Amino acid sequence: MLSFLIRRAVAGIVLVLVVVTVTFLLLRITGSDPARAAAGQQATAEQVAEKSRELGLDRPLVTQYGDWLSHAVRGDFGTSWFTGDQVGTLLGNELPVTLSVVLVGLVLAAVVSAVAGVAAAVRGGWLDKAVQLTAVVGAAIPSFLVALVLALFVGVRWKLLPATGYVPLTEAPLDWLRSVTMPAVALAILATASMALQIRGSMLDVLEKDFIRTLRSRGLSSRSLLFRHALRNAAPPALTVLALLFIGLLGGSVVVERVFGLSGLGSQATTAASQGDQPIVLGVVVVTVVLVVVVNILLDIARGLLDPKVRVR
Amino acid sequence: MRRLRLLPVALVAALALTAGACGGGSSGGGTSSGGRASGGTLTLGATIAPNPWDLRGAGLNGAELQYYEAVYDSLIRLDPNANPTANLATRWEWDATNTVLTLSLRSGVTFTDGSPLDAAAVVTNLLHTKDGTGEAAAALRDVRKAEAVDAGTVRITLSEPDPSFLGNLGQSPGMIASPRAISDGSIKTKPVGSGPYTLSGPGTTVGSQYTFIRNPKYWNAKAFPFDKVVIKVLADQTARENALRSGQVDAAEVAPGRMESLRGAGFNASPVLTGDIEGLYLWDRGGTVCKPLGDVRVRQAINYAFDRATIAKQLGGGFSTPTEQLFHPDSSAYDKSLDKRYPYDPAKAKQLLAQAGYANGFSCDELDFSTLFPAAQAAITQYLSAVGITLTPKSIPVAQILTSLQSAEVPLSYFRLSARRPWDTVRSTIAKDAAWNPYHYSDPEVDRLIADTQRLTGGEQDKAFKSLNKYLVDQAWSATWSVPQTAYALKKSLSVTPEAFMSNPPLYRISPAG
Repeated sequence: MLSFLIRRAVAGIVLVLVVVTVTFLLLRITGSDPARAAAGQQATAEQVAEKSRELGLDRPLVTQYGDWLSHAVRGDFGTSWFTGDQVGTLLGNELPVTLSVVLVGLVLAAVVSAVAGVAAAVRGGWLDKAVQLTAVVGAAIPSFLVALVLALFVGVRWKLLPATGYVPLTEAPLDWLRSVTMPAVALAILATASMALQIRGSMLDVLEKDFIRTLRSRGLSSRSLLFRHALRNAAPPALTVLALLFIGLLGGSVVVERVFGLSGLGSQATTAASQGDQPIVLGVVVVTVVLVVVVNILLDIARGLLDPKVRVR
Repeated sequence: MRRLRLLPVALVAALALTAGACGGGSSGGGTSSGGRASGGTLTLGATIAPNPWDLRGAGLNGAELQYYEAVYDSLIRLDPNANPTANLATRWEWDATNTVLTLSLRSGVTFTDGSPLDAAAVVTNLLHTKDGTGEAAAALRDVRKAEAVDAGTVRITLSEPDPSFLGNLGQSPGMIASPRAISDGSIKTKPVGSGPYTLSGPGTTVGSQYTFIRNPKYWNAKAFPFDKVVIKVLADQTARENALRSGQVDAAEVAPGRMESLRGAGFNASPVLTGDIEGLYLWDRGGTVCKPLGDVRVRQAINYAFDRATIAKQLGGGFSTPTEQLFHPDSSAYDKSLDKRYPYDPAKAKQLLAQAGYANGFSCDELDFSTLFPAAQAAITQYLSAVGITLTPKSIPVAQILTSLQSAEVPLSYFRLSARRPWDTVRSTIAKDAAWNPYHYSDPEVDRLIADTQRLTGGEQDKAFKSLNKYLVDQAWSATWSVPQTAYALKKSLSVTPEAFMSNPPLYRISPAG
């Protein structure tokens, strides 16, 4: 298991390097003129040249890359070209926001979909049909629409939850939960829908397996049968889906964060990308890729714990 | 049955979660007690995060300035018409050549780090900001020399007369930061000024929320009625409006189309000019690449070809006003009667084209803006093809558009140029070396009129700007269409006095409603 994890970690580091290098090159080579954008609309050619010197963009590309990378590995992602803020500080402020929304969304999706999926598989009948129908509808509704509707009604009309903004968990846990609930729900709808169907499918598969029939014939209680044996065997494929959904939710947070006025990675990424604030874009890419790698490693560990077969490989 | 037992638990949790909202909104997410009376908190929704605290990188836009106004005081205070009044500078005097400005400073003012705000501090700031790369730096580019005559007097020497100079000292170019913070470099992350507020660590999250608390030593506290100012960065328009409606912010820029609904919900909402002028800019008015544009009749024909009322309605959702001028409507150069110079008249346009020898029309390159501004691009194609002018759209990657326009790669295109004080427009759009006169076209008459505006002062100068404007409209330097608007909304208990050229009101213009 350990050597397996080390191999995964090394592969992850390589992946991060490749993605970051490609992003860096794409940003610099696309022929955009970052100094021009940073200097403002009214800047003259001389002012743009001066800005370019200030940002170090007049140096060879390889030097720029080497310089950026050598600082980045030490955790220094430079400063924003527009606000002069430390990219590290910004990311440090934004990562908890995005992670809160995505993780709460993920937990919500996992719990709701597990309950609905298992119930649909076990009970069958109208409940099954209802779950399936709801899931299809849920998968069809774009999260930004859910976000807009929630913000308008729950936030503005009924004033049940804050319409915008984020409260750090460390500051006031209940307010934190209140501030991330709507974004998390908006984000989780799609994930819940697809996972519920996934869990229902694998539960049905597992429940038909011989070992379940054997266990049942040995007089195991239905609760133990369902949760200790059937769900455990149905879980690995759902976990894989969960990891993929995590990545999907990170992407979805771009829209949801904007609607709820959350300063997370997503809204930062869109603002920075449209301005051409390359240090921020690169910082967001690094953090996102690292997150994806880490989640995949965690998933491998979880699968290993659930299924001994995985550990052998 | 097991599953059903979860339901009450979930219900209780949901109730607990939403209960705080009914308890007077005291929860951390949206604390916004302010505005009812003097002394409370003012919470603003901002469209953008602050520019660098170091004024070397400062911009000039209203949304950017709100952050600076909280911490830095400025040499000049602008009145609602953007005319200079006393602030840190109590008196000023130009010499006969309008190039040497002597400022007398308010005495006894100190920065929040305890150091005195004297002539030396002002000189340090002007030279430091001028040395930068932001818009504030550009506004100070004519400063040749700044010197402290004595502790309370500063003498600034310009390389040529700059009619916008005093006005600019009322904004970021004239803001004064602590020289100590400048010299030790701490200004980059932590602003130290002598302004009405100081940036507070608690309540500030870089990139999303900035909290300012009152500077007890500020000399003019009554101009800033609130004890605390919170600025929340809300880039999204819907999020800003939701925050306003749910009481999380007290004031914010909103979409002009939402004013009606916001008024219905009990907010003060009024339109404001964005400061841009949009339309078809005829960059190559000398006809170097697109030869027909060198003929004034062709340029006038293009002006007659557009139905500005319809275009303004389509582009601005009914919130743009048609214009034919290059100058900001708040500026002294603006002359309402000039907007009737080129009524929509395709027949007249064709006639002028025929006189110029283009009876069958002509074709030239233009910039393809169909992805960024599809409606504007469609308007150009529709109205110009109707009079026989066909333009070939050139595709240029978005990130390169500014560069390629300024390096004279496109003879004409749709654009939105920001216009502030008339002299700023001259410097940025009209003068031979202006960044937005990419073909560096000049005309002896224009040069003469520009020289007039620079030489004269007061009412004479206003007249000179009007003459320049009239000449440019007659000569059809461009075919501008309209002045786009945005809107600013506040809760009922607040009032705002708009300030000319500002899309977002300065902090000192927002006060509890009388």
